[in-house]
Amino acid sequence: MANSEANKLFKEFKIQSVSEFFRRNAAMLGYTGKLRSFTTLIHEAVTNSLDACEEAGILPYVRVEIEELGNEHYKIIVEDNGPGIPEKFIAHVFGKMLAGTKAHRNIQSRGQQGIGISGAVMFAQITSGKATRVITSTGGDEIIEAWVGIDVEKNEGKIFKKIKHPNPTGWRGTRIEMEVKEVRYIRSKQGPYWYLKLTAIANPHAHIELIEPDGKLIVFPRSSEEVPEPPEEMKPHPKGVMTDDVYRMARRTTRTTVRTFLIGEFSRISDKKIDELVKYITALRLIKEEEEQNVREQLLKRLAEGEVDRVLASFGKKAKKVLREVRKIMEKSPDKLTWHEAEEIVEAFKYMTFLAPPTHGLRPIGEENIEKGLLGILKPEFVTAVTRPPKVYRGGIPFQVEVGLAFGGELSSGFDLLRYANRVPLLFDAGSCVITSAARNIDWKRYRVDDLERTPLVLLVNVISVHVPYTSTGKQSVASEEEIYEEIRLAVMEVARRLAKYLGGKHRKLYQVKRRKTFEKYVPEISRALSILTGEPEDTIKTLLIKIIEKKFETIEEKPLEAEENA
Amino acid sequence: MLKREKPKERFSYDPKKVLQKLEEFGKEVLEEIKAGRNPFIDVPTRGLSNVYFDEKDRLIKMGNKTSRRYLFHVAHARKFMQTLLIAAYIKRLVAEGKHASLREAYYANKHTIPGTKENTFEDQSESDPIIEDLERMFGVLREEMHITADRRGYVYGDIVIKDGEDEFNASKLGMGGWAVPGTVEHIEFPEINVDYVLVVETAAMADRLIEEKYPKKEKALIVATQGQASRGVRRLIHRLHYEEGLPIIVFTDGDPYGWYIYSTIKQGSINLAYLSEKLATPEAKFVGMTMDDIKKYGLENVTEKLKGIPPNKKGGPTGDYKRIIEEMNYPWFQNKEWQRQLKLALKWGVRIEQQALANKSLEFVARKYLPEKIANEELLP
Repeated sequence: MANSEANKLFKEFKIQSVSEFFRRNAAMLGYTGKLRSFTTLIHEAVTNSLDACEEAGILPYVRVEIEELGNEHYKIIVEDNGPGIPEKFIAHVFGKMLAGTKAHRNIQSRGQQGIGISGAVMFAQITSGKATRVITSTGGDEIIEAWVGIDVEKNEGKIFKKIKHPNPTGWRGTRIEMEVKEVRYIRSKQGPYWYLKLTAIANPHAHIELIEPDGKLIVFPRSSEEVPEPPEEMKPHPKGVMTDDVYRMARRTTRTTVRTFLIGEFSRISDKKIDELVKYITALRLIKEEEEQNVREQLLKRLAEGEVDRVLASFGKKAKKVLREVRKIMEKSPDKLTWHEAEEIVEAFKYMTFLAPPTHGLRPIGEENIEKGLLGILKPEFVTAVTRPPKVYRGGIPFQVEVGLAFGGELSSGFDLLRYANRVPLLFDAGSCVITSAARNIDWKRYRVDDLERTPLVLLVNVISVHVPYTSTGKQSVASEEEIYEEIRLAVMEVARRLAKYLGGKHRKLYQVKRRKTFEKYVPEISRALSILTGEPEDTIKTLLIKIIEKKFETIEEKPLEAEENA
Repeated sequence: MLKREKPKERFSYDPKKVLQKLEEFGKEVLEEIKAGRNPFIDVPTRGLSNVYFDEKDRLIKMGNKTSRRYLFHVAHARKFMQTLLIAAYIKRLVAEGKHASLREAYYANKHTIPGTKENTFEDQSESDPIIEDLERMFGVLREEMHITADRRGYVYGDIVIKDGEDEFNASKLGMGGWAVPGTVEHIEFPEINVDYVLVVETAAMADRLIEEKYPKKEKALIVATQGQASRGVRRLIHRLHYEEGLPIIVFTDGDPYGWYIYSTIKQGSINLAYLSEKLATPEAKFVGMTMDDIKKYGLENVTEKLKGIPPNKKGGPTGDYKRIIEEMNYPWFQNKEWQRQLKLALKWGVRIEQQALANKSLEFVARKYLPEKIANEELLP
């Protein structure tokens, strides 16, 4: 009796927890507001498609179709030419929350740690009650059509119906159809249209199409034929970890000692660094025993300055004893590492110096591709881009900033800031974003942009990191880390300088052309008048005047170029 | 008594001289172009900075500051073109013996420049200054260049006027007299039976005098300016004095505006300083109204208050007071008589109109006021 009651209770508890989790964390997953929810749905599906294509080395073709079924009731169709999903993984991909392939990996990623598309399926299910229709093929003999939902009780994907079709043309890809309610399609700067446009700019290798509810087809064509390499996993850098990371990693590792665990699973830790780590932990233990606060502070300061040997020497024999104890930690099995010891290790890391973290895992869009993206989608008159070298923030988290600038051409007047984190467009919370403040705090007048709000100018900023410091769980704005702020500023100033140079040359050229025209247009008038006054034939005077103008501009047009080279 | 004197200038209008100046100007520009240089025009500078009062000639004159206008200079090119356009137009006018008004000159030269959306002249305020520039450059009146000014003012008296083919007596054209045309350069006076010219500010007063037969009785030529004297009237007064030897007596209201009209006839104006020698008549004298007249003829009841704030009051001087103080500072009013009149006006704070004399009787001005003052030479310099 008691047992069955407990079971029943537990069962109810589980039902509530998953759906309640989703409801309570809707904001965290991007499902707040009717417009933003729509954008998030599109984002999840498109991101999945792009990631899948890139991992498979396929140039992505993504088609988004939106049908209006009723008031705040839509059907969203997203189709790609990706690798397709093997039959046995369909339920897993679309149905299971918090269980993607990317969770717990130190890797730069677009997605939301595996919750993305299943979150979308869940959203469709709880707003419209309909399952998500998935049509996919890996290019083999058959196409699978499946209706997928989420079994809230088990937190598992559930396939309601599955049909296999022949695949005579060898079609490969994935098409999902979701029916959703309580959302609204608006063509605004926070809507799906703008989201896809920004995605297309940052992913010039992708061909993206959108059919809006009114049937209008919008194509963002591909402007690069090069599939970016998928990001690589990176070992964490000692400066970027917390106690919990070390503790949990130690539990999971297959290494046999703490020493080999630290060397093997973190970047920039060598055998020699472990010996140093031992000294630091020892020093910290000794300093904590010191009663005088003044002395403690002084010793910590010296430790931070790298004088670990001298600090230890000042404790004499006592130091040697503690040193031996600490050495033992390094030789024991990692799964025996205590929380306190992990804490000591992380604290010591803070006082130590390490080589900057490796950055091979960061995948910038690249200057050339940013330029291609901006040119291809926005059709500006001038474009330039800067990808800064990787840097670290908070002492050890690698990040990289890249900035693109587009000016004139088909751009409309006014300043547009396109924010991205790991290539994902950020459409919300612009006000609290470090990208906004860094880009706006530039004195644009110094770069020949006198009125920013009336200049046809688009600035693209992409912040790349294995761990982008978002201000909130909505992941729509980047926190104001000093190092990131500074890198954005430097990059923006660099592209702005190039714009200023371009505008300078353009103004000068235009000015010369205008000057010449001013003189040339009066030539016939002056010739006629002078002919009346002097009796000299009109054509003679005309020829003479044109000769003077030509001679004048030959010399003038060469001068400014020389001046610029000297400047 | 006032009598006609010996002429000091001779009738000098000669269209050939104007044509010659225009051709010379064109040749100079063409020479520069043939030499492959940037052609330029030297235009005397406008405005107060290039104007001074010549004590000896007692005229407002133009200084010799010039500004150079280049063809190949972005800021000058348009004006350079406009100057040549108007110069060429004037050459045709003079050569063909035709006259055009300022407005006609503007429309005749206005057209869209081929291949642009720009007009040679956008409005008359662009062409008028170019014509003034040419007057300054050549020292030639625009009337001599056959560009006529507005018609204002009229003449009445026993004088025969030859205007082109027509000859007539200005006392036999009815009460309205002969209207002064925009250009008086070509007009001649074959017969003159007057002793002096009486320049009258208001038409009402001129009409009164004509009705009272003043011109006949006093052997005077009435010239009504109708407010500030037009260029034609000023030129006519100048010619009557210098070419025909007629003394000039000016009769205006006793107020700052009336005195300014007198000042312009006598010394010229800042605007047209470069033409003073042809327009001004420094020998002109002033008969009234004066402040003294108020006392002498008992006109205290028919004065009017000056407008504006007096200099000793807060915010002053403004209006009439301000203008009187300005006039007091004119070099040509630096004499005892005028300073006295102007000071009295300030002190009493009043002005007096010509028509106020009607308070005595309609005939008073023609029978007593003017004949007495002129006979006794109670005139201001």
